[in-house]
Amino acid sequence: MQTSKVAFKIITLVLIVTFILSGCATATTVAPVAPAATTAPVVAPSTSGTSVKDIPQSLIDACKTEGMVTIIATPANWANYGEIFKLFEDTSGVKINSLDENAGSADELAAIEANKGNTGPQAPDIVDVGYAYGKTGIDKGLYQPYKVSTWDKIPDTLLGIPAKDPAGNWTGGYYGVLAMETNKAAVQNPPTNWSDLLKPEYKGQVALTGDPRTSNQAIQSVFAAALANGGSLDNAQPGLDFFNQLNAAGNFVPVIAKAGTIAQGATPIVLAWDYLAFGDKDTFAGNPDLEVSYPSPTIASMYIQAISAYAPHPNCAKVWMEILHSDEGQLAWMKGYAHGVQQADLEARGLIPADLAAKLPASSAFASAVAPSPDQLSAAKKLITEGWMTTVGVDIPTPAP
Amino acid sequence: MKSRGKVWAWFFIILGVLYFFLPLLATFIFSLKAKLGVLSFQSYINVFNDPKFIRSFTASLLWASLTIIVGIVLFVPTAFWVRLKVPKARTAVEFITLIPFVVPAIVYVFGLVRTYSHPPLLIVNSPLLLVSAYTILAMPYLYRAVDIGLRSIDVRTLTEAAQSLGAGWFTILFRIILPNIRVAILNGAFLAFAIVMGEYILAQYLAKPAFAPYMAVLIQNRAYEPAALAVLSFALTWACMGIITLVGRGSGQAQVGGGH
Amino acid sequence: MARPARPKFSWAWLGVMPFFLFTFLFLLYPSSTIVIRSFQDSETGKFTLQNILALFKSPYIIGAYWISIKISLITSLGGALFGFLLAYSAIRGNMPRFIRVSLLTFCGVASNFAGVPLAFAFIALLSPTGLLIGWMKLFGFNPYFHGFTLYTFWGLSLVYMYFQFPLMVLIIAPAIDGLRREWQEASENLGASSTQYWRHVAFPILLPSLMGTTILLFGNAFGAFATAQALTGGQINLVTIVIGSELRGDVLGNQGVGYALALGMVVIMALAIAGYTILQRRTERWLR
Repeated sequence: MQTSKVAFKIITLVLIVTFILSGCATATTVAPVAPAATTAPVVAPSTSGTSVKDIPQSLIDACKTEGMVTIIATPANWANYGEIFKLFEDTSGVKINSLDENAGSADELAAIEANKGNTGPQAPDIVDVGYAYGKTGIDKGLYQPYKVSTWDKIPDTLLGIPAKDPAGNWTGGYYGVLAMETNKAAVQNPPTNWSDLLKPEYKGQVALTGDPRTSNQAIQSVFAAALANGGSLDNAQPGLDFFNQLNAAGNFVPVIAKAGTIAQGATPIVLAWDYLAFGDKDTFAGNPDLEVSYPSPTIASMYIQAISAYAPHPNCAKVWMEILHSDEGQLAWMKGYAHGVQQADLEARGLIPADLAAKLPASSAFASAVAPSPDQLSAAKKLITEGWMTTVGVDIPTPAP
Repeated sequence: MKSRGKVWAWFFIILGVLYFFLPLLATFIFSLKAKLGVLSFQSYINVFNDPKFIRSFTASLLWASLTIIVGIVLFVPTAFWVRLKVPKARTAVEFITLIPFVVPAIVYVFGLVRTYSHPPLLIVNSPLLLVSAYTILAMPYLYRAVDIGLRSIDVRTLTEAAQSLGAGWFTILFRIILPNIRVAILNGAFLAFAIVMGEYILAQYLAKPAFAPYMAVLIQNRAYEPAALAVLSFALTWACMGIITLVGRGSGQAQVGGGH
Repeated sequence: MARPARPKFSWAWLGVMPFFLFTFLFLLYPSSTIVIRSFQDSETGKFTLQNILALFKSPYIIGAYWISIKISLITSLGGALFGFLLAYSAIRGNMPRFIRVSLLTFCGVASNFAGVPLAFAFIALLSPTGLLIGWMKLFGFNPYFHGFTLYTFWGLSLVYMYFQFPLMVLIIAPAIDGLRREWQEASENLGASSTQYWRHVAFPILLPSLMGTTILLFGNAFGAFATAQALTGGQINLVTIVIGSELRGDVLGNQGVGYALALGMVVIMALAIAGYTILQRRTERWLR
C-alpha cells in the first residue's frame, strides 16, 4: 500500500541519517587524551613556586586519574580564558568539559546544587562567579575550601574589599573596571564621561550589556552612574535618576548590546567591563573601529572562583585553581585586559613583559575605580531592580499618588 | 467574484513574503560586511572553517530526528484514542500538552538532573533523557498538529469502516489514520525539528552537544559571524525540511471516507 | 446480574496511559519543584506563603503578568488572523503548487526563528541604522524623527509575529485541507453568497481548529522571553523576564518568588484552558 511505502521511506531515511550522524556525533565525545608530560615532574615547589611548572606532580597525576574537569559559564573569549584552557590541557593533558558558557552566577550555583551526588559531566567542578556569590555559596554549603600554593601572593584586600576568603572557600581571580565602548564609525565624537552621555548628539545611542534586573554588568553600570551623580556605594538612587534622565532625553536605547549590535550601529555606545570592551576592539580589528575609555568615577567588580563541594573531579579542580593563580595564569588574564589580583606582585617581580605592559591601559586611567562590598551590592541591586521599571520602563501601572 | 478572491490571496501572500523576507535580507546584508568597506563572504568562510559548527549542527540534527520519531509514536495514538474513546480525558491531556510553555527551561532541566542522576533511574547521561525532554518540549506543537489533523478527517467513520473489515488497532492507526493526517504530522514534525535545533538550555545542562549553544557563544563575541550563521542555519534547516517533504510526498488533499 | 458497566470505561483509559506515564516521568515530576519551592522560603527552606503573597503585593509583578497576557493575547489573535489568511490564500487561493510547498517549509523554520537572532534581524532592518530605515532616508523620510521606534510594546509584538504567523499556518493547514471544495460549490449551487458560505459553513467547521491553534499561539507567546529581552532589554516587563531575574540573575534574586511566579503562569494557563474548553464545547455542539 502507498502508506507503508511512504512510512518505510521516512523511517529508512531517518535511520540512515541517524546512523551517519551518530558517527559524526560520537566523534565529538573525545576520550581523555593520553597525557604527554610537557614539563619535568617537580615534586617540591621551586624557590619562587609560582609557575605552572611548580604544581606538584602528585596533584597532576591525581587529576589525570580523574580524566576530566567540568567548568561552567566560562567562555574562551572572556578575559582570554582560552589561554588558560590551553595551560590546563598542556599541564594535565585532561579534557575540559565546558557547560553553558552564557550561564549567570545563579545558574552556576543552581547547577552545583542540582547535581549533588551526580558524578557525571553535568556536575560542575569549579565555578567563576560574581563577587556577591562568595557569601551565598558558603552559606549554602556549595564550596569546598582550597588554598592555592600561591595563597600568600594574593593580597588580603583589593580595592577595599577582601580578595580571598580567609578559610579558602573562594578566591578572587581578576577584576574588571566599567568602561565606555564606542563604535567610532557610528559616533564621530565619542563621549568620555558620564555627563557627555546626556548630550543630544548621542540620541538613541547609549546602551547596556544586559537587563539591570538580571545582569551584573548592567546593575553595576547603574551603580557607577550613581557614584558620578552625587551618590555613593551606599546610595544607588542617583544612578536610577541618571538613567531616568538619559531615557527622558531619548539617549537610552533598550536593546541589549552584543558584538553584532555594536558593529551594526544599533547600540554604538555601551557601558561594559574594560576587558570585554578591549576584547571587542581586538576582535573587530578596525571593522568597526572602537574606542574604549574610562568614565570617572567608575566601579570595579571582582570575579571569584571556587571549587564545588560536590565536585566529581576535585583534584582537577585544584590543578585548575593552581593554574589560575600561577604567573602564567595571571598573565593570561592580563593579556585579556582583565586585572589579575596578583598584578602588583607580578609587577614587583618584573614579570610583566614590556609589550603587554604597553598594551594595557595605564592604571591612572581608572584610578577612580571603587568596589562595593557584598552588602552594598545587595542593597544596590534591590534598589535598582525594583526601581528600574518605574525609571525607564513602559506600560507600568503607576501607583495612585 | 473568483478573480477578486484571487487578488486578495495574492495580496496576503505578497505581504507575508515581504514581512518574512525583509528581516532576513537585512541580516544577510549585514553578514557580508565582515571585511571593512567591501562586501564579502568572509564571515561565511570563518563559520565553515570552524569544526564546531558542523559538529554541533549534526548533533542537533540527530536529536531532532529522534524526537520526531518518538513524538509521532507517542502522540498520534494518544490523540486518536482521546478523540475516539476517551473524550473525557481531553481537557487533562490538553492542559498537560500546554504545560511545557510555562515551565522555565532552567527549572525543568535541573528537575531532570535531580530526578535522574541517582540510581535506580540513573539515565542522566543517556541520550534517551535528552530526546524524551525534547519530545516534551515539542509536545504542545506536535500534539496540536495531530489533533487538528484528526479533526479534519472523519475519524469515527474511518475507524468503524476499517473495523467492520476486520482491521486491528495497529492497522487502523498506522495504515489508515496516519496516511490521512500526513500533512498534519509533517507540519508538526517541522515544528518539532525547528524547536530542537534552536534549543539551548537542555543540551547544555545535560552535557550533550548541540547547535544553539555554539551560536550563543558566537553572538557574544563576534559581530558578523552570528548573522552568517543565522542565514546558514535558516537555509540548511529549510533544505532539510524540503527533503522531509519530498520523502513524505503525496497529494495535499487526503483520501477521506465520504469523498468517493 | 446487575453489574455496573464500569470495566469497559476503565479499559479505554489504558490507551492514554502511555501518555500520562511519559508526561509524568519527563514533565510533571521533574517540574514539581515549581510547586514545592513556591512554598519554601529561599533562605531557610521552611514552608511559607510569602512568595505567593509577594505576587499580589507588588504592582511591578502584577504589571508584568498583565503585559505578558496582553502581548500573548494580541499576538495570538493577530497571528491567528493573518496566519489563517496566509494559509488560506496559499492553499485555496488557486496558487501555483510551489507556493504552498515553499510557504509550509519556510514556516517550519521561521516559527522557531526566535530569540537574539530574530531580534537582531529586526534591528538590522528597523533600527535607526537599519536597512529599511536607510531606504526611507533616501527618500528624505526618517520615521524616527516622527516618533517611530522599534523598541516598544508594539514593536515587540511585530517581532513576535515572526514566529506566530508560521505556527498558525502550519497547524491550520490540514484543517483548511479538510474543507471540501464540494461544500463551497454546493452552497453556491444553493444560492449562498461567499459571505454566507463563510458564516454558515466554513467558519463554524473551522472554529474548533481555529480556537485550538489560537490557544497554542497564546501559550507560545506567553512562555517566550529571549526575543523580548534581546530587543527591549529591561524596558518591557514580562513575567518570564522577571522569573529570569529572580532565578538566573548574576546578582542575588529571590528564588522562592521566582518559583511562585512560574506557578502563577501555570495557573493562568489552566484558566486559559478552562475558558477555551467551555468555548470549545459550545462550538462543537452542532458538529457532533
